[in-house]
Amino acid sequence: MANVTWKIARRGNAQLPLVIVTALALVLVLLGKAEPALFDRARMAMTDGMRPFLAAAHEPIVRFDRFVGSFDELFAVYQENLRLKDENARLRQWRNVAVVMEDRVKRYQALLHAVPDPALHSVLARVIGRANRPFLETMILDAGAANNVKPGQAVVDAKGMIGRIYLAGNRTSWVILLTDLNSRIPVTIAPGNRQAILVGDNTAMPSLDTLSQIVTLRPGDQIVSSGDGGLLPPGLPIGTVVEQGGGYRVALLADAASSEDVEVLAFRQPPEQPPALPELPAVAAGLPPATAAPAAPPAAAAAPEAKPVKPVAVAPPAKPAAPAAQPTSPPADDADEER
Amino acid sequence: MGTAEGTGFVMSGRVLSGFLPLLCGLAAVLISNLPLSLTNGLVPAPLLGLVPIYFWCLVRPDLMTPAAVFAIGLLEDIVAGGPPGIWTLSFVITFGVIDRQRESFAGLAGLGAVLGFATASLIACVVAYAVTAALYRFAPVGPMVAELAMTVLFYIPGVYLIGIIHRRLVGPLRSEP
Repeated sequence: MANVTWKIARRGNAQLPLVIVTALALVLVLLGKAEPALFDRARMAMTDGMRPFLAAAHEPIVRFDRFVGSFDELFAVYQENLRLKDENARLRQWRNVAVVMEDRVKRYQALLHAVPDPALHSVLARVIGRANRPFLETMILDAGAANNVKPGQAVVDAKGMIGRIYLAGNRTSWVILLTDLNSRIPVTIAPGNRQAILVGDNTAMPSLDTLSQIVTLRPGDQIVSSGDGGLLPPGLPIGTVVEQGGGYRVALLADAASSEDVEVLAFRQPPEQPPALPELPAVAAGLPPATAAPAAPPAAAAAPEAKPVKPVAVAPPAKPAAPAAQPTSPPADDADEER
Repeated sequence: MGTAEGTGFVMSGRVLSGFLPLLCGLAAVLISNLPLSLTNGLVPAPLLGLVPIYFWCLVRPDLMTPAAVFAIGLLEDIVAGGPPGIWTLSFVITFGVIDRQRESFAGLAGLGAVLGFATASLIACVVAYAVTAALYRFAPVGPMVAELAMTVLFYIPGVYLIGIIHRRLVGPLRSEP
């Protein structure tokens, strides 16, 4: 072996394969942009194949982490114990408040005939891997399509939402974390029911992209999932608004780096059904329901709607000086006021 | 009989030598992309696949072919989970730069060799970042810098290990008598 001779440099025409390979790589980039599903299938096949190894290799790493972490905890165990006792006492008080409030909300819902929240089914999965790359922050779960895990489903732990399923293989699935660069989640800022988008940017605390320019954020505001789009259930706790560097970010409740067992929420918003005919506001106001066929000319269509307006457009006696303005007011509003 | 066995051994040795850089590159990619983090995600995984590319491109360029670099980059793309094709393109372009400046890079020793690899890693990271920003969105620079630092940090043990493998299975290094 020691006497093996070799060429130090390639021949001059050896640049040709490099040009071809570079062109192929460019095609691959464009193909990946156009058809990312091709790569996703390959990724999931590899992850499914590596699942037993990942599950076996993850266990000693978790033990190592706990062993290292135990040294830090050893020096702060007394202070930590005092803090936990204090927190436990406060949480017990809050639990009592929550139980009372939950009962009250249930009674109000029953009184108002409120539509109950859709039932959530969940799959308990174990984290068998984590990956932290410049363009992706993910974790791998040991549950996949065989366990009814589907892309888009929310992943939560005991503290709050962690992310959502990005790829679902047969036995494994990839989670795109809330902190990932590609994560966009519709959220609600409470109090105030303000809508926003939680934007991950590969930092520990995602930012908020508020949908309205006049929204004022305050430190301590709670962030929950809004449920817009029907993919995620509404009301999942996500985090708290904190001030950082003159702006506002979201301190997440869940710690994806330490989560071991997570729940994959199987939420499917039922398709919205049109209300029954007697529940339509027009019918309730005494108007004929709108028909699906727009064959009639606009003038003819407007005529029957204008006709029943007259009985409900009653001029209030306090304003006799402006009778001309009354017929222009919306008839439905008048009907509501009368009720 | 003995001659035939010896010929077979040499042939299998040459075949192994031919595929060794590719196999090492693929193994390095798989190891660096194992979704197991000792630091709880504090730092990103290094681009270990770049170490064999850089090493063999300087030491035995006839063994590290553009096709092998393409295969290593493709595996990196598949297992890393990022935008498809990004690392393939960045590895191939980095290989092209190293290939054209081989004599300059190969003349470096000691800390200079580490800086040479850091330059190659920087090229790979800049290409990956630029393509991602052009086709997808601007990513924060911090994680990319952290990945670059981790890659350079792992170069020293990585190249030491690859040097041992090369001496055992292929032959002496270029600089050795």
